Amino acid sequence: MKKVILLCLSMISAFAQSYAGKVPLVSQNQGVYDGTSRLNSPELLHNIMLYQNWGGLFVNLQIHWFRTLFFGITVGVLVVFFLHYIVIGPKKFAHDGKAIYVYNLFKRIIHWMAALAFVIVIPTGFMMIFGKELGGGTLVLDARYLHSIGTVLFIVSVIPMFLMWLIPMLATFDDVKWLFMAGGYLTKKKVVVPAGQFNAGQKMWFWLATLGGFVMIITGAAMYFEDFDLAILKSLNLDQIDILRISAIVHNFLGMAVTALFVTHLYMSLFAIKGSLDSMISGNKSEDEVKYMHSSFYKKLKKEDKI
Amino acid sequence: MSSFARMKFYCDEKRCIDCDGCSVACDEAHELPVGISRRKVILLNEGIEGKEFSTSVACMHCTDAPCEQVCPVNCFYIREDGIVLHDKNICIGCGYCLYACPFGAPQFPTDGAFGTRGVMDKCTMCAGGPEPTNSDAERKLYGQNRIAEGKVPACAAMCSTKALIVGDAQSVSKIYRERVASVGHGVQSAPYGWSKAYGK
Repeated sequence: MKKVILLCLSMISAFAQSYAGKVPLVSQNQGVYDGTSRLNSPELLHNIMLYQNWGGLFVNLQIHWFRTLFFGITVGVLVVFFLHYIVIGPKKFAHDGKAIYVYNLFKRIIHWMAALAFVIVIPTGFMMIFGKELGGGTLVLDARYLHSIGTVLFIVSVIPMFLMWLIPMLATFDDVKWLFMAGGYLTKKKVVVPAGQFNAGQKMWFWLATLGGFVMIITGAAMYFEDFDLAILKSLNLDQIDILRISAIVHNFLGMAVTALFVTHLYMSLFAIKGSLDSMISGNKSEDEVKYMHSSFYKKLKKEDKI
Repeated sequence: MSSFARMKFYCDEKRCIDCDGCSVACDEAHELPVGISRRKVILLNEGIEGKEFSTSVACMHCTDAPCEQVCPVNCFYIREDGIVLHDKNICIGCGYCLYACPFGAPQFPTDGAFGTRGVMDKCTMCAGGPEPTNSDAERKLYGQNRIAEGKVPACAAMCSTKALIVGDAQSVSKIYRERVASVGHGVQSAPYGWSKAYGK
């Protein structure tokens, strides 16, 4: 197990460094080397000797990549959905037919708690990433504090959310078919989409928000508490500071994925499928919408005589 | 000081006696709160005969300071003489400078509500900050500004064996070269005899 983790870490490091490159430090160890000098001892400042492993990588990613990627991904996703809305347009379903009760009150409360957490955490995260543009200071410092407070709300909501949707979110064969037809979003026609209670897109978002969310909580907590000592670090040849560096790297990349799918989730619920927001407010989905967008679920309900 | 002078610290590990005087002098001079240590004395190769030595570490005021490059709010600035300083009114205490630093120099107070982390604090080479020189605001946020008064930083000023030297890189290197030339360099296996200490 230890070796696997070690192998994974070194592979990630090597892969990332081949892309990001190493940070050239202006001066190497310029101490006089006369064969007896203790300054050149390999034991010297362990931390400095291992700096290139994660320190150099973090510095390079933070200087050249994180801000650019966050900006590119956010703008890219927004542009794609804007074009989708213009070219293909939203899906409209009849809302005057029968309603199917899909989300009970508990599920809706948990959903909106997590939603509030995301609405706090994502903008404050962006305020920190683009702190230069905001001039730093109290505004961004308070955003950082709010980021931690939002996390508490997220921790409280993500655990019940993970448990309550764990079973229906498991992958099925429908998801493969859904992915091949891109969920039916690339056509103006009303097509029958293969999906159970949740489609593959919703499942991706669920797993990223829960499992990815747990990783975000752990890496965020590491950066929040900053000073901790774990026995396992020594065996992995990692310094305490390396955990902080790895946390920052992982937190940033996962943040990009979460942002992209969060914006997608907003677009789908608010714009792409007209009236789909109702199901999270009243708990009811229109029969027409379920029939097309969640065809397998509809068939199952029919079979069980629930409609 | 020439116009290309860069201020540097150097700790002669052969002279450092691990007395912790520099870090105490720093804490006292700048009235630092408990838990903030801008300068630390570390013992290396502990217990290994002939290899054990101690040295004093603080912000090394890097030429290509990685902290300055990773800061998400651009709170760092590098003076013309190479001293790396930061503006505490812009800093958000995110900790990125600490992750980027090879020396662990950035310090963070954790005295906010629920132990929240405040803005960063680090060695200023006794050169204060962006506030008006020797103003109350500067003293409160960054401690003394000894450089403006023409004084040597507190740590180097009090170093009893003059292991810790500070100044423009050329002068520091000159002092060190003279020391190596006069007493040699390398492992000190026996105490200085009369000849080494006083010449023939």
